[in-house]
Amino acid sequence: MNNGTRRLFAGGRPLLLRAGRKLAQYVLVIFVALTLNFALPRLAPGDSLSFAIGEALAQEMTPEQRAQAMKEVGLDGSLLAQYGKFLKGALTLDLGHSTKFGEPVAEVLADRLPWTLRIVLPSLILSASIAVGLGAYAAWNRGRKRDLFLLAGVLTLESMPGFWLGMILIAVFGVKLGWFPTYGAAPLFSTGGWSYAVAVMQRMVLPVSTITLVSLGSYFLLTRSAMLDSLGQDYMMMAEAKGLGTRKRMWHALRNALLPVYTHMTMSLSLLVSGAVVVETVFSYPGVGSLLYESVLARDYPLMQGVFLLITLAVIAGNLLADLTYPLVDPRVRIRKPLEGSR
Amino acid sequence: MRSNRAGAMGLVGLFMLAAMLLFTLLGPALIPYDPAERSGSPLAAPGNGHLLGTNDIGQDILAELATGARVSLTIGLVGALASMLIGVAIGVLAGYRGGWADTLLMRLVDVSLTLPFLPLMIVIGVFLGPSMSTQILVIAILMWAKVARELRSQILSVRTRGPVQAARAMGAGDLYILRRHILPMTVPLMIPQFIQAVTASILMESSLSFLGLGDPLAKSWGSILFYANARSAFLTDAWIWWVVPPGLCIVWTVLGCSFVGYWLEERVSPRLQSYTALGKITPKKTAGRPASAARTGGESAALRIDGLSVRYPKAGGEAVAALRDIDLAVHPAEIVGIVGESGSGKTTMASAIMQMLKPPAARTGSIRLGGDELTALSDRELRAARGRRIALIPQAAMNALNPVWTVRKQLTEAIRCHRKLSRADTQARIEQLLGQVGIEPRYLAAYPHELSGGMRQRVVIAMALVNEPSFVIADEPTTGLDVLVQVEIIALLKKLQQELGLSMIFISHDLPVVKRIADRIVILDRGSVVDEGTPGHLSVHSGHPYTRKLMDAIPSIGGRQMRQEVQL
Amino acid sequence: MNNIMRSEPANPAAANGSSALLAVSGLSKSYASFGAGSAAKQVLRNVGFRIDPQETVGIVGLSGAGKSTIGRIIAGLERADGGEIVYGGTSIGRLRGAARRRATLGIEMIFQDPYESLSARMRIGEIVAEPLVIRQTRRGDRAGLDRAVRSALAKVSLDPDRYASRYPHELSGGERQRVGLARAFVAEPRLVIADEPTSMLDSSLRLELLELMDRLRRDSGTATLFITHDLALTYRFCDRLLVLNEGEIVESGTPAQVIDHPTHPFTIRLIQALREFHG
Repeated sequence: MNNGTRRLFAGGRPLLLRAGRKLAQYVLVIFVALTLNFALPRLAPGDSLSFAIGEALAQEMTPEQRAQAMKEVGLDGSLLAQYGKFLKGALTLDLGHSTKFGEPVAEVLADRLPWTLRIVLPSLILSASIAVGLGAYAAWNRGRKRDLFLLAGVLTLESMPGFWLGMILIAVFGVKLGWFPTYGAAPLFSTGGWSYAVAVMQRMVLPVSTITLVSLGSYFLLTRSAMLDSLGQDYMMMAEAKGLGTRKRMWHALRNALLPVYTHMTMSLSLLVSGAVVVETVFSYPGVGSLLYESVLARDYPLMQGVFLLITLAVIAGNLLADLTYPLVDPRVRIRKPLEGSR
Repeated sequence: MRSNRAGAMGLVGLFMLAAMLLFTLLGPALIPYDPAERSGSPLAAPGNGHLLGTNDIGQDILAELATGARVSLTIGLVGALASMLIGVAIGVLAGYRGGWADTLLMRLVDVSLTLPFLPLMIVIGVFLGPSMSTQILVIAILMWAKVARELRSQILSVRTRGPVQAARAMGAGDLYILRRHILPMTVPLMIPQFIQAVTASILMESSLSFLGLGDPLAKSWGSILFYANARSAFLTDAWIWWVVPPGLCIVWTVLGCSFVGYWLEERVSPRLQSYTALGKITPKKTAGRPASAARTGGESAALRIDGLSVRYPKAGGEAVAALRDIDLAVHPAEIVGIVGESGSGKTTMASAIMQMLKPPAARTGSIRLGGDELTALSDRELRAARGRRIALIPQAAMNALNPVWTVRKQLTEAIRCHRKLSRADTQARIEQLLGQVGIEPRYLAAYPHELSGGMRQRVVIAMALVNEPSFVIADEPTTGLDVLVQVEIIALLKKLQQELGLSMIFISHDLPVVKRIADRIVILDRGSVVDEGTPGHLSVHSGHPYTRKLMDAIPSIGGRQMRQEVQL
Repeated sequence: MNNIMRSEPANPAAANGSSALLAVSGLSKSYASFGAGSAAKQVLRNVGFRIDPQETVGIVGLSGAGKSTIGRIIAGLERADGGEIVYGGTSIGRLRGAARRRATLGIEMIFQDPYESLSARMRIGEIVAEPLVIRQTRRGDRAGLDRAVRSALAKVSLDPDRYASRYPHELSGGERQRVGLARAFVAEPRLVIADEPTSMLDSSLRLELLELMDRLRRDSGTATLFITHDLALTYRFCDRLLVLNEGEIVESGTPAQVIDHPTHPFTIRLIQALREFHG
């Protein structure tokens, strides 16, 4: 047994068990998402073939053509056989053909994904850091006016639909003031170089602000409440009795409050991505979110399902990241050799 | 005061919701236009009978808002209600039955919560076709999971509580316990959950409708925005009356719910009881009380307390006195034991001496440490004194160490905040001290959870002593430890006190423990000192009824051997 | 080990003697542990003892020794991994539901925490009546139920007229624990399991409450299993004493025997520590 495995086992079976259970859960989620993708077009009222290749095309076909097409998109044979074929396709990234773009769904997704990441990741970092700062400040000043104002302000932000805030920002900063472009992610005629980069950045400002503002709320509330919990702990009294200054004591509390916030942050990717769907739509930003909207408008079912699957995978990746990195922030779940053995 | 503010928020929220409800119920009757009819010129600005103007085909926007409110609120309420019902049923089943049902249902919940919410709604909505019932269905089947998980965890925690255990010990059946204990304890906690579900449903509905998946026959606020967006309303001035109002309606409703929900949550949250707000206690003027050295003895005292009172103001102007007019002097290298039962004010005393009382406590009186008036020190001077001149070993020391940092880091931090020592000197000081409290240096790398209760207590003692204070307050340092460990800790404190010549206040509810260690004992009862003397004197000669009662309450372990020992 | 267990029969099977009210033999229990390092923690190992009618048996041990677990297993709040519990001639260890309810008639429990073992939503009268309601001993007899509750309250010196309609939060800690006593004794039990009944109370209230419990059990002829970490208390209130260390009974006998002539190293250390404070 090499050192690594021995340490894993020294850490106790429950940890491995927990990791295994998590992994099983993620596999199950992917499986459920795939199954939904398979079942919905077949269960929904309407013509399954239209769902697969588009209504216009399906209606013009002769019965022979139909049979041929059904075979091509995997709608022939028993349900079980169809299902097997479908799963096999999904595993090899064969997600079907987009009727709107006339390209394989996987390729369309690969084109759009980087744009979404470009606005989602900055929003995640911005909203989390601002909210953690404000939340810690509010908790430290609990019950005072400033706490209440922050709380009311953040609750107000949280009650805004993202798309609406986006529309208002466009109307004010895009149209009225003319500070930022209101449409797309890059200038139509790209020249590359600095001016291109600046143009891309300019177009990021409003969508990123929108997503940041509407996601502030949950991080803020969580930080505030986690911070209130740790402020009431005995170690805070010890920290004060030691003679630590305000900033050091605040860090004592915040360091502990960060644990749930960190978990929430990585796990809330799904919220952010959902926010991105509507916000991208408002800004006609060519990411995965607006792709979902476009596919809905065009009733491009394979594309729509591909987007759904991609988002599911992204969410799971976020969860996985949280699970894998959590021991870095919380020593209590770290796998360590028992101290008695060291030295 | 705090709860009043939360209460005010709740009132504002209720008002907002009531106003919206009125608008929803009465609006369609009062507004003279049919929202579906062209009643004005396209994109007419507000005025001319159209209070909020018209949209691109000349429909009255205020009328649209009023009927839209019905759709949005109906979907919000019905969707939330349906998800609550499913969630409660599954939560109860999983939480109470446990076993395989729990495992299975909770895996289902995990999966539901991991699936991306909005995209899934969109996909299902597209396939089932846009309609109000689809929306409600989708909201219900997607939102039950959170409710179920929350309720289950509540039930699991309630299941281990006293009343449930008591009923089970009496042989009560599942149905009885569920009906009589578990549901009454948990269902009220679900009300904030319901409110959250309502807001989430309203926001989800608006998103769905905004993406064109709303019921085409029942225009909600989200659908109004869908049309406004599709016609690029924000490129013209029309956004002010076409885009802003529907969004404000959503914000108004959701915010009203949030305020009410926040208020309700504060009411059920146990956290309310702890005071965490910071602030400096402003001592009331001591009214020229003479610093009477004569009252408590010679000038040589290490700590002298004169006329210390602490009150907690209560609603209605009254105040609860936690300490009343305490006079106490601790001489150098003396251990004064303070004995009191719950509510005697002994922990308040420790906080008052450390100047660590939290608002709304109000303190009067004088506390002098080696001649310096502690109550007159600035924040900075106080910080410099805490840990350096006067140290506290706090109550519940089991949790006095920060769980995310190693012993080394926490000890180093304690040194660094008072002194600039080189790395090597810091290390040397820490190792020396750990040796004194009987902890091997290898535990420096340990996190608190890796230490036993007794070891943690030793580390806390080391931390209190690391900057060589001359005065130490030990607040219940042995509470929660086994009697075997208690003996060790008492012996350690006594040894350190003698080696380092510490002056000490030793606070405990446990008279036998205090008798063992203290040179002098002060008996505290309901905030006042009622008796004082050496342990021997108090056990034999005290005439005070409360002292007698405490002494009599010490169970004797009689027996032949014991009596012999006493005679020796 | 047999030489240590003086008053216990060497053969656990003999503990099932017909005169015993409760006979426990070979009880074992382990918990799955989720801390790093250990797999399962054995909290009880082959625990056997008996309680005769009207006898008070004390179990003493450090926290984590497993003493509460014994009480909880007998009360049916936890299940043992192995061993047998015979109460009034019936083996109750494996029973569930209504069968258990019938077989364990006469076993009541007093809990450690007076603040949370009483339901905050029930009146004192309802709380005290609960054992009768659950055991359905006075079905349909409201007046009888009322009488029983009032008499139980009166016996613990709580005026029924003043207390029956109050809620627990209106009572002090000592009063609440007396409600706990009333609840335990209202159904005329044969065996009361008292799990650290005074450890959360101020010391000035402790003896008072224990004396009250002692009087109640003498008056009603009830046997008691008195679980405590405080060896000093057993001296006065127990007929027999079991010392539990890490899930094993290491010593037993009358309190005087055990305290004056401890033989097991653990007991000797424990008594030395005790003498530090009570000597």
